[in-house]
Amino acid sequence: MFRKVLIANRGEIAVRVIRALGEMGIASVAVYSDADRRSLHVRRADEAEHIGGAPSDDSYLRIDRILDAARKHGADAIHPGYGFLSENAEFAAACAERGVTFIGPSPEAIRALGSKTEARKLARRVGVPVVPGTEEALGGLDDAREVARRIGYPVMLKAAAGGGGKGMRRVDSEAELESALRDASSEAQRSFGSDEIYLEKLLVNPRHIEIQLIGDLHGNTIHLGERECSLQRRHQKLLEECPSPLVAEHPQLRHEMGEAAVKLARAAGYSNAGTAEFLVDGDGRFYFLEMNTRLQVEHPVTEWVTGLDLVHMQLRIAAGERLGIRQRDVKWHGAAMECRVCAEDPEHGFFPSPGHIVHLAEPSGPGVRVDSGVYSGWDIPLEYDPLLAKLTVHGPDREAAIARARRAVDEYAITGVTTNLGFFRDLLRDEEFISGRLHTGFIDEFMARRPRHEPNSHYDVLAAVVAAMHTRDTEPERTDQLRGSRWVSEGRRRMLR
Amino acid sequence: MKWSVTVDSRVVKVDPAALPDLQEVEPGVYSLVQDGQSYEIRVAHVNGAHQVDVAGRRLIVDATDPHRAAPRRRTEGPQTIAAAMPGKVIRVLVKEGDAVETGQGLVVVEAMKMQNEVQSPRAGRVIAVAATAGSTVAAGDVLVTIE
Repeated sequence: MFRKVLIANRGEIAVRVIRALGEMGIASVAVYSDADRRSLHVRRADEAEHIGGAPSDDSYLRIDRILDAARKHGADAIHPGYGFLSENAEFAAACAERGVTFIGPSPEAIRALGSKTEARKLARRVGVPVVPGTEEALGGLDDAREVARRIGYPVMLKAAAGGGGKGMRRVDSEAELESALRDASSEAQRSFGSDEIYLEKLLVNPRHIEIQLIGDLHGNTIHLGERECSLQRRHQKLLEECPSPLVAEHPQLRHEMGEAAVKLARAAGYSNAGTAEFLVDGDGRFYFLEMNTRLQVEHPVTEWVTGLDLVHMQLRIAAGERLGIRQRDVKWHGAAMECRVCAEDPEHGFFPSPGHIVHLAEPSGPGVRVDSGVYSGWDIPLEYDPLLAKLTVHGPDREAAIARARRAVDEYAITGVTTNLGFFRDLLRDEEFISGRLHTGFIDEFMARRPRHEPNSHYDVLAAVVAAMHTRDTEPERTDQLRGSRWVSEGRRRMLR
Repeated sequence: MKWSVTVDSRVVKVDPAALPDLQEVEPGVYSLVQDGQSYEIRVAHVNGAHQVDVAGRRLIVDATDPHRAAPRRRTEGPQTIAAAMPGKVIRVLVKEGDAVETGQGLVVVEAMKMQNEVQSPRAGRVIAVAATAGSTVAAGDVLVTIE
């Protein structure tokens, strides 16, 4: 097993990996940009190394500096988390060249499955259904026009190297195609360094369901069931759950999709953790969408229902150990769901809302797990993803999980910045959501029908009194005291030395 | 003594002495027991106003000066267009003297990898451009003035 592992990431996922390392008696090395010196992952790690400026292409995307940090600290493996370099085959190859283990699949498997066009080709070859569309990146506008005419509008443009909704555009008619292609290409170039775009048929209001895969270096590959990820805004997930309400109705779906995902992984020589994403129509027909060749944000959902620890498994597999369990050993218990708590404003198109966290109170108690990357008093940087923390809950069934999620969201308090907690509070009480009739257009529909909170004069009075008290009693004195105190200024001077 | 403050732009008159058992239990966190009911109320001072969280909703209270209530949204005369969120100005799409239509993009602001086009709330002429490409803006900073 490894002695020391560097985490080439930041935020909640870096903290998640540091926790697993601690549990396994492995030392952790954090890396950080100028914007992250005070971040939680730096505080929690055993060792830490500064790797550059706030923009990620000057820090978390710098392969050279990350590998230098690994050498300087004597790390024998690197966990890439998700995002940043996690699906970068060159990074995986560079790690191997430097004799550092990359905790993830081989560079060859990343190339075979990480590019959406390559993955689709492979899926067709092994008989896994895919959404109709282009095999190759588009040659240009004429090519796009011809393919779109053939398969019919609406179509979707997607970055070949992409993920996370970047470089994606929905096109409803030929008139929109040219500008959408231009926007998608430039966004893809900015986000992934490649402007290659492909095109596929847009299924209207499908479900988005994914299969968790895990494989070792000895040819053992199994799946850990599905996660329903239909609740998205801007093609980024907001709430995920297992079991999928659709799988609860059609239990054979888990097996069929799981088999298809395992077939793909085996064909690509895939090892470590990965996720095969599918679109599923109302009749339970599924189409392979793409493979994420890394740990997924929403992995805790699967950990709750299977009782397995995916990060522990990733580390053991990368160190050469065998999987140790067979497909028939995997059992799913109860229901779990995740709410992605983000610094963003649902009332303004979910636009990011960075700022200073004045106060933070996280929920706890039975069946509640919080994977957080933030703390009270921290300034959320402008440069990165707005995800602050993942709230996951577990209960004996979906109804119980929803009730638990409501209770946990009610306990959750983040002040100073705008978050989507209020959105979750309403969503978890929505009849359609409770019924489990989910699809990828669900959030847009929900936002149109979400409840309006009528003014309540009692709450107005409470708020007014508390604000007045807070102004009068605390802030002026506190700031004056701090400003005027020579002890404080002396303390600051010493700290800076 | 009665205080007059605005809560989500509603004027509310309050007497702080009316809630005798209001206690600050943690910095910015107040506990109130009133008529046998327990309330937890959180307050944060942000951008010159108070965000108050009570019973699952966030109310914006301006307790600084009741007489200086928020100016009514104007439809005539010069109007300033401010950043709704903190971010970085990526592009400025207009210059002084430009005529603009309702909904026309004025400035593109980026935060956390998301770009947002700030649009003109009405037709008019740009009389000042405060935003510069590459600069960082806070919520409420004026970007463009039109008339």
